[in-house]
Amino acid sequence: MSIFSRLTSLFSPMGYPISEVLAYVVESAMLAIVASVSLAVVIYLFRKYMARVQLRIGPNRVGKFGLLQVMADGLKLAGKESIFPRKRDDLPYRIAPLMILVGLVMAFAVIPYGSLFWIGTLTVSDTSVSVLLLFAIIAIMPIGEVLAGISSKNKYALLGAMRAIAKDVSFEIPMMISVLAIVMMASARTASSLSINSIVLTELVPYGILQPLGIFVFMISMVARASYTPFDMGESDSELVTGYSTEYSGLRFGMFYMGLFGSILLGSFVISLFYLGGFNGPMQSSLGFVWLVIKAMIMVFMAFTLWLSMPRIRIDKFVNLGWKYLLPIAMINLVLSGTLTLLMGW
Amino acid sequence: MSEPESDSISKGKDGLTIHTVSKDRLLEFMKDMKERGFNHLSLITGVDRRDYVEVVYHLHAMDRDEYVVVKTTTDNGVVPSMTSLWNSARWDEREQYDLMGIKFEGHENLKRIFLPENWVGHPLRKDYDLSNVQYINMDEDGEDYATFDQGDGW
Amino acid sequence: MNNFVELNFGPQHPSTHGVLRLRAKLDGEIVRELEPIIGYLHRNAEKLCELTFYADNLIFFDRMDYVASMLMESGYLEAAEKILNIPPPERVLWIRVIMNELSRIASHLVWAGAFGLDLGMLTPFFYCFAQRDYILDVFTEVCGSRQETNYMSVGGVYQDLTPEMIEHIDAFLQSFPKKLEEIYRLFVKNDIFISRNKGIGVLSKETAIDYGVTGPMLRASGVNYDVRKANPYLVYDKVDFDVPISQKGDNLARFLVRFEEMRQSVRIIKQAITKIPDGPFFNPKAKKSMMIRLRGDGEYYARTESPKGEFGVYIVGDGGVKPYRVRVRSPSFKNLSVLPVLAKDQMISDLISISGTIDLVFGEVDR
Repeated sequence: MSIFSRLTSLFSPMGYPISEVLAYVVESAMLAIVASVSLAVVIYLFRKYMARVQLRIGPNRVGKFGLLQVMADGLKLAGKESIFPRKRDDLPYRIAPLMILVGLVMAFAVIPYGSLFWIGTLTVSDTSVSVLLLFAIIAIMPIGEVLAGISSKNKYALLGAMRAIAKDVSFEIPMMISVLAIVMMASARTASSLSINSIVLTELVPYGILQPLGIFVFMISMVARASYTPFDMGESDSELVTGYSTEYSGLRFGMFYMGLFGSILLGSFVISLFYLGGFNGPMQSSLGFVWLVIKAMIMVFMAFTLWLSMPRIRIDKFVNLGWKYLLPIAMINLVLSGTLTLLMGW
Repeated sequence: MSEPESDSISKGKDGLTIHTVSKDRLLEFMKDMKERGFNHLSLITGVDRRDYVEVVYHLHAMDRDEYVVVKTTTDNGVVPSMTSLWNSARWDEREQYDLMGIKFEGHENLKRIFLPENWVGHPLRKDYDLSNVQYINMDEDGEDYATFDQGDGW
Repeated sequence: MNNFVELNFGPQHPSTHGVLRLRAKLDGEIVRELEPIIGYLHRNAEKLCELTFYADNLIFFDRMDYVASMLMESGYLEAAEKILNIPPPERVLWIRVIMNELSRIASHLVWAGAFGLDLGMLTPFFYCFAQRDYILDVFTEVCGSRQETNYMSVGGVYQDLTPEMIEHIDAFLQSFPKKLEEIYRLFVKNDIFISRNKGIGVLSKETAIDYGVTGPMLRASGVNYDVRKANPYLVYDKVDFDVPISQKGDNLARFLVRFEEMRQSVRIIKQAITKIPDGPFFNPKAKKSMMIRLRGDGEYYARTESPKGEFGVYIVGDGGVKPYRVRVRSPSFKNLSVLPVLAKDQMISDLISISGTIDLVFGEVDR
């Protein structure tokens, strides 16, 4: 039973339309709150981890162990004056950071989280085409970056947006093809192979083991999607100031910042779901969510380590990588997994 | 190859040979020096001797590590440019033009290098008026300009 | 073709190492024309030197290459002491060699960290600065100051190196080589780092000499010219060290040459702290007569090897208590002038990494 149906039954004394509307509102609010709290946790973990890696201590002034530092930073950003460039394109300039953030929260709504003890399943919404929905939402987020870059009427931002487009087109096709291989493998075992939930349920052997090439391509794509250091050509703070978010300040800049960490978290969840067995594990019915979070956290820390130890790749080399290596590898992976499915019935 | 002829040769305190050349023959002399292996123009210095300006070139032969000083003097502050022989003269001559007011004939881009284009006077001249403070400000296009007006501090 | 995008880098830009301003004409991502604009940190130290006593001029040199101020001081004193006829005693020469090489290591560490940042590597920066801080601790011990040390003076140094100080330097030398290799591996074991630097920004021997490029940049282009070897000053002829050279001339070569120089500096200091003789740490002539009464005559050009290249000081004295003219050959200034050649037809990312390998310090470029 999903959270939505629980809420509907909770509000059912109020009658049909009201209960459903209330359930939607409450669920969205819960999702937004949980998403922002988990983002704060990820940012805090990142800052502490980065400090450890870099022989520093990290935040330790606000709250115990600096736990409230992220909140303090958020308040500071919210209290800051937003400086608008004079020649901006007003509407796209304003909606660009929102698109990234809203897209992110929407993406968190469609992925299944497994169940936890007596609460039952934590999945927010489980549609039968959630794979398509998820990647449609992920594809919205780059539009926010491009809008931000073009509407700020700044040359750095424009260059950043150009790089972001070049980057996105070169990793998204390999990414989709490697997901296609997953869907194909799952379709041999389940009828609703476009639902992430049922894909994960078929994943008794993690697909990452069956498709090592697939997980390779997908992980690179997720790094590029979140755009942190080896592939942060769009922002590249030492070259283009901060790329497409150059002209943003205050809370709007905070949205880009949250978008970055949210993308890391989202990417980690998606990789764990598709390739690492998701919420499968011992005592799945009561600990599924825990398994998922453990797997996702391992991926998050892998992402941080990559971020902190790598220099930035050049944009033309990344485009090369995308078209000349990732795409063929994803194709080979597709053929291999198709063969495996046909011959072995996996 | 015959030795290039300078007007007079002396030794400095640092043991370097100093060739003094009149500025009309300078370019020709330098050409000869370059052919003799002085491929590195290390330094161009203008020295304001009050009634004339002395231009000092430190030449360096990278292969045999030999340093030589070439001096010339100018009354009107004009000397031939060395940019056709050594590219390192480009910025050095711009700097000497900026701070010392020496005009290098034949330099294709003789602009001020440190100070804004409309700065009044050349600071390293001995007669430069230090009491007359100039302020640097920025115009609408982001270009710097010098002004005697202090403004509001920006 | 006039449909290039004109892009302005700096003077406030994350990777311009201070206040460099670059005006670039871009064809997409490719730099077609580049014009460096400098002077944002110009103080006209040469004029200030003319207005100040010989012994006091050191403070202006401290603030030239502020990450290697010991080397700037000794570079000035090479010329000033000859003009003033006050030779420093033997022990001072050795102390200066030790301090110079410590300063050189500190400067190269700053460069390596900042270069990592240019390429988007966050972590090596902190490793480099942590090691540099041990050197700054030594400086604090000998003169009470971290960066603008003002340790050396005409005819001597501010205070003697005590056995404890030498012990501390020795302790640093014991731990540093291992840490240096760790930092080195952080860079060169990374394939992306290699691909960002190998074959990028190739500077040919002829162009380098023609533009007056010196120091590690010149040696990375295959010219064996190190002032410490070519024209030994202080006591560099009494210590044993190698001059690293590479024939490649690209970013990676400059990187490797600088790291090898740090290892050689460690070697020099190790020899110096064993060979350092006892004796006075200043020339009594300089101490007895008041510093402001020192009169200099004649002209002297002294060249020394700073971490950036050949640091030349040309002093013209007229017999007065202040120099008549001081001219500084700042290596960064000359090295920067070759950037438009190196960056032509390169991508923006490479422009940043090339300008990173030049090792710019704007206190010195703008003076």
